Amino acid sequence: MTHQPTTPQFRANSRAAIADGGLQEQMTKALGNSMAKRAYASGALPEFDQLRDAARDLKNHTLAHLDLYLEAYEAKVQADGGHVHWAETAEDAREIILNICRSVDATSVNKGKSMISEEIGLNDFLEEKGIAPVETDLGEYIIQLRKETPSHIIGPAIHVTVPQVREAFRTHHPHLPVDRDLEGLDKLLLEARAELRAKYFEAEVGITGANMLIAETGQSVIVTNEGNGDLSQSLPKVHIVIASIEKMVPTLEDASTVLRVLGRSATGQEMSVYTTFSAGPRREEDPDGPEEYHVVLLDNGRSAMVGTEFQEMLRCIRCGACMNHCPVYRSVGGHAYGWVYPGPMGAVLTPSLIGLKQGGQLPNASTFCGRCEEVCPMRIPLPKMMRHWREREFERQLTPAGTRRGLRFWASAAARPGVYRAGARLAAWGLRLLSSGGRVRRLPLAGAWTEVRDFPAPEGGTFMDRYRPDADGKRRGKR
Amino acid sequence: MSGRVRILARLRRSLSEESGISDDARREAVAARLRLAGAQTAPVPEIARTEGAAMLERFEAKLRGVDATVTRLGAMADLPGAMVEELRARNLPRAIRMGEEPDFAGLDWSELDATRGVGRLEEPATLSRGLCGVAETGTVALRSGPDNPVTLTFLGETHFMVLRASDVVPGLEEMWARVRRAGPMSRTVNLVTGPSRSADIGQVLQLGAHGPVAVHVFIVED
Repeated sequence: MTHQPTTPQFRANSRAAIADGGLQEQMTKALGNSMAKRAYASGALPEFDQLRDAARDLKNHTLAHLDLYLEAYEAKVQADGGHVHWAETAEDAREIILNICRSVDATSVNKGKSMISEEIGLNDFLEEKGIAPVETDLGEYIIQLRKETPSHIIGPAIHVTVPQVREAFRTHHPHLPVDRDLEGLDKLLLEARAELRAKYFEAEVGITGANMLIAETGQSVIVTNEGNGDLSQSLPKVHIVIASIEKMVPTLEDASTVLRVLGRSATGQEMSVYTTFSAGPRREEDPDGPEEYHVVLLDNGRSAMVGTEFQEMLRCIRCGACMNHCPVYRSVGGHAYGWVYPGPMGAVLTPSLIGLKQGGQLPNASTFCGRCEEVCPMRIPLPKMMRHWREREFERQLTPAGTRRGLRFWASAAARPGVYRAGARLAAWGLRLLSSGGRVRRLPLAGAWTEVRDFPAPEGGTFMDRYRPDADGKRRGKR
Repeated sequence: MSGRVRILARLRRSLSEESGISDDARREAVAARLRLAGAQTAPVPEIARTEGAAMLERFEAKLRGVDATVTRLGAMADLPGAMVEELRARNLPRAIRMGEEPDFAGLDWSELDATRGVGRLEEPATLSRGLCGVAETGTVALRSGPDNPVTLTFLGETHFMVLRASDVVPGLEEMWARVRRAGPMSRTVNLVTGPSRSADIGQVLQLGAHGPVAVHVFIVED
């Protein structure tokens, strides 16, 4: 709904999320076997890692020639009778979409799931202008009713419990009998299906996102499981595709390569239920489909990432695997990140799109465990890029003073071997002093850490003490 | 127009001027890549390279794996009778909605209320002619058009699709080859892999979110 970032309050947001028992329970349940599903699906395909390499390479090639592919793509769309609009900023994109809606006197707009639409804050804007946006993806519909933002890029409502869905439907479907049975999950699904089915036939405009744009054919591609994106684009008079410029791939064969890693990484599916390639408006002889086809190409900071150390982020295909595997995301949930894109991909992308001052907290939200990079189908070096942001944050003096002092102290100690070794010896001695039975149960300055786990007590001297050869030339090693 | 110019200029500055690679060389690289359309340069997985009976078996098994059902028919002429049976077994009204597909036009539909046209608000059962079936994943590819109105694929509560056995291909590569051979690109190419589903409520997978609750594929022996 809103795109007013709360990213600067990431720490406070996280603390609140961790203290929220209901959210913790729901996140554990919702993300449950997402890692196992991906592991099973990728493990079942022997060529999976080769396909990841190929997907990375084809996207690198595309990004190195992005201007030319965009031009080739535009010419193809136009040849099929479609329109291409270029939006440099979120504001440009909103205005373009509003003008298209007004040209057909639209009063309501059906929407397939689109993160770009969240990025440009489209729903609030359209509402302000008197046009009712209707989210048709089930998860997006639920959070639209609850006036929330998505908490996951492919499962926008994973933070919502079943009783909360029930409550939202009771509140927002007042025309239905109050005493109706909404107990079973199937009842909830049927009610949403019936509510939205009628709406597909009412809207003048349907807006979808795009998982890919194909330069060879001028097609936009959506990958879904529900079919709402297809109803949203096939029934109204106008189909608007909103896509960011990096969604480009050269050919249909390249699209196949991306599809082979996308579903497996996202949900563990070999293929999502509906993969739809759309080009232009309905043909002269067609009995259905939209009469107008518009593509809004959004830049919003992406072209400025090209040629920088963040260019590789533009390979992202939005599968969500990085957040499913992220210990920080799994602990704090998507809303704590405070803007549109959560998890590791959000931590890298957000500062590029809304600035380091606003989004600079997010690259710090990582333990650098490296799981995100390990599972990324496009092999994006997410931890490395988070490190780049931390460096920039430090250089631009955006890091809090206490942290800066700590880092400076650390740097000066680490650069002087004598001081460092003495410090390490002191720390090992101190830890032994605080320990009992081989464990440290409470640590000053690390109370939050030791509250839920013990710290192992050092067994002997420091590494350097043990590494230094004895007088007889033998290393002491482990005794 | 100015947004377009500025976006492209920014990209060109980074990609050409600052990288030192000439625009001509980059243009040639793009042209060469687009000339490769139709040839897969990435690895083609073994599961996308099955043949003959194994390919057909895989297609059927994969369809069942994504909660679709399948029956084989001896000839296209058997379709109306088989459809009556399927509708009865599923407790559906004896009615079917379809497009102007020539393969269906010559058949005897007198046992059913068979109507032609686009999808409407309530469509208990719809019928489409698939362009091809993909054994790799149990996917059916459809081209939109008067023969196959795209709305039938998504509005039917139960969606029936018909393929000939010779329409089944091993993987996505052959599927694209057939799409390209089928003529000018249709408004949509729809790849359908089982019935509609969602896990957005309670993270429990349920079938029939917005599209079909059930998908059935008839494979007609050639």
